[in-house]
Amino acid sequence: MAEILTLDDVLDATVLIGKILRKKGHVVHTFTDEDEAIAFVRQSPVDLVILDIKLKKMSGIEVLAIMKETKPDIGAIMLTGYPTVETAREAISLGADEYCVKPIDRTELEEKVEKVLAARLDQGLE
Amino acid sequence: MTTELSTQPVMSRESSADSDLDRDRRFLGVYQKVSRLVSMSLDHQEVMETIVRSLTELLTVDACTIRLLDHSTRSFVLGAAHGVSLNYLSREVIDTEDTLTQVRSGTPVYSANAAEESCPQFRQAAAQEGIKSILTVPILYKEELIGIMRLLTRKTRQFTDAEIGLVVGLSEQIGVAISHGRMFKEMEDRLVFLNGIYEISTLVNSTLDIDHIFNVVVERAAVSLGAKGCTLRLINSESGLLELAASYGVSASYLHRGEVSHERNIQVVLNGEPVAIYDVRRDPRIEYHEQMTTEGICSLLAVPVKVNDEVIGALRILSDRPRIFTDSAIRFAVTLAEVGGAAIRKARSYQKITRLMRQVQGHEAFLASIIDSLQHQLLVIDPNRRVVLANRVYLEAIGKEEKEVLGRPYTELDSIAPEDSPVEQVLQGREMNPCLQTLGKDESQRWLEWTAFPIYDEGDLSYVIEIVRDVTSEHLLAEERLQSGKLQAILSLAGTVAHEVNSPLFAALGTAELLVEELRLPEEREELGVIIRNLKQIGELTGKMVSMTGFTDQKYVGERKILSF
Repeated sequence: MAEILTLDDVLDATVLIGKILRKKGHVVHTFTDEDEAIAFVRQSPVDLVILDIKLKKMSGIEVLAIMKETKPDIGAIMLTGYPTVETAREAISLGADEYCVKPIDRTELEEKVEKVLAARLDQGLE
Repeated sequence: MTTELSTQPVMSRESSADSDLDRDRRFLGVYQKVSRLVSMSLDHQEVMETIVRSLTELLTVDACTIRLLDHSTRSFVLGAAHGVSLNYLSREVIDTEDTLTQVRSGTPVYSANAAEESCPQFRQAAAQEGIKSILTVPILYKEELIGIMRLLTRKTRQFTDAEIGLVVGLSEQIGVAISHGRMFKEMEDRLVFLNGIYEISTLVNSTLDIDHIFNVVVERAAVSLGAKGCTLRLINSESGLLELAASYGVSASYLHRGEVSHERNIQVVLNGEPVAIYDVRRDPRIEYHEQMTTEGICSLLAVPVKVNDEVIGALRILSDRPRIFTDSAIRFAVTLAEVGGAAIRKARSYQKITRLMRQVQGHEAFLASIIDSLQHQLLVIDPNRRVVLANRVYLEAIGKEEKEVLGRPYTELDSIAPEDSPVEQVLQGREMNPCLQTLGKDESQRWLEWTAFPIYDEGDLSYVIEIVRDVTSEHLLAEERLQSGKLQAILSLAGTVAHEVNSPLFAALGTAELLVEELRLPEEREELGVIIRNLKQIGELTGKMVSMTGFTDQKYVGERKILSF
């Protein structure tokens, strides 16, 4: 069981991710506001963050940079409806583990999450 | 102790008339012999040598010397001698200053005992040579002193008034002979010098090779003046130092004896005045006495080398025998140096012009190479509309040789109408508007841009440059950019649409898939399946839209992926 944070400007998307991952036994914290999500990461234990790239005030890349600065070992999966080479390179350079394109398949999402968490476990980060 | 004597013969006190007659006969004989001897030669040197040799015998003295007056230094230099050693002849002090002063005033001076003379240097020199008595008489020509004659004995001798009178009379004869000989020699020399100047002028004017001119000047100067050698030194215009340009007849060790520019003789020459030095071994105007003596140089004549009244160097003629340089010789050397200077100026000008010509040719070749290397067609036209230059690309484009094009009206060559021609716009003083010409069709279509620019010379139009540039690739690139811009706009729209649709689609599709697991009734599951299937079709559509933008993903190091177009 892992502490997972999901941030998307579309509320339904965060709700859906929460539903899917809770079914897998994880604790999911859903956010549509970047500042609240960042504050949560600073205050609470989080193993993995699932961030949309297009947000309301900031970009998912900027949020990832701040969160990685706070917790460098935190796992990260980036989601986007419009992938670009620039955002993908930036995300990976900032330490994102996966870069997925919406609409992502439920099974694919579950697999990606498990893979990132397993990799963290192997590295002794949990 | 010297005795001043009257120039008039003093009558003998001998009472015997026979003795007087014998003496007079003997003196007449001597006089006749001397007169005959001096009239036999026109060479004054030969005259002097004959006199000194004959008089020792005729007047029964041990030695006789003749010294000539060097007007430049007012000193007496050796003309001829007989019966004394070279060591005695080369003494520094000829006689006491009293004796010389009296002789200069035209009075004979008789010294019975040289050991009693006041000047210690002369006394010592006379003692070493064993000289006892000395009779010194002036040699005059037209009442002007030209030298002195000295009769010397190694035993004390009393010269009688008659003997002194005879010697004075002989010295007058000798003065006439020497002067006539000198005049003849002067005339002879002038002829030689005139021929020399002509010869040198011809030689130096027949070449522009500056080194050859240098060598001709030094060689002919030495040969024409019967000298041992000659050096030519010129002032380096950049460093201001006097540098050896050429030499003749002197050794390398002499030439490398040291810096000469500070020697007084050179300083005088560089101020524009000639310098004649009879005895280089002692003259204070010379610094390297020893080296000159070793080289065998006795006398020197140095003259300035001038160009337009500016001294550019020094020519030094070196004689290996003691020599008084006559006015003719000095004038010859000065003239020769002037001729040489003029030739040097001409050769230097030629060198400068040649160098400039080479530079101009080099620049022309460089410019021609640049013009021919241009990828554009280039044509230069004069105000009469005739072609004066066409580059390689232009000639290739119209398929003509340069000789077929030069001088022809440009309107016969250019493929655009003159009324549209930028050249015509420039020639008419109008604003130049580039002209775009289209050639061929479809894939072989080409675009040429015609431009023209004026070249002014002091405000007047002297030439027009026409440049024809193939702008096909630029034209095509501009079209490609336009198409690319349109495509980019479409892709941007597709990406935005995909982005905005994918998030809600993800929420809707995922929620539907969760819901279908919870439904029990087959009809409901089937209906929700229809929704999921259609949502997936929308997802495929947005996927295609995303792929239009060129996005793909590929494996990166480890488990990561990178994305690329």
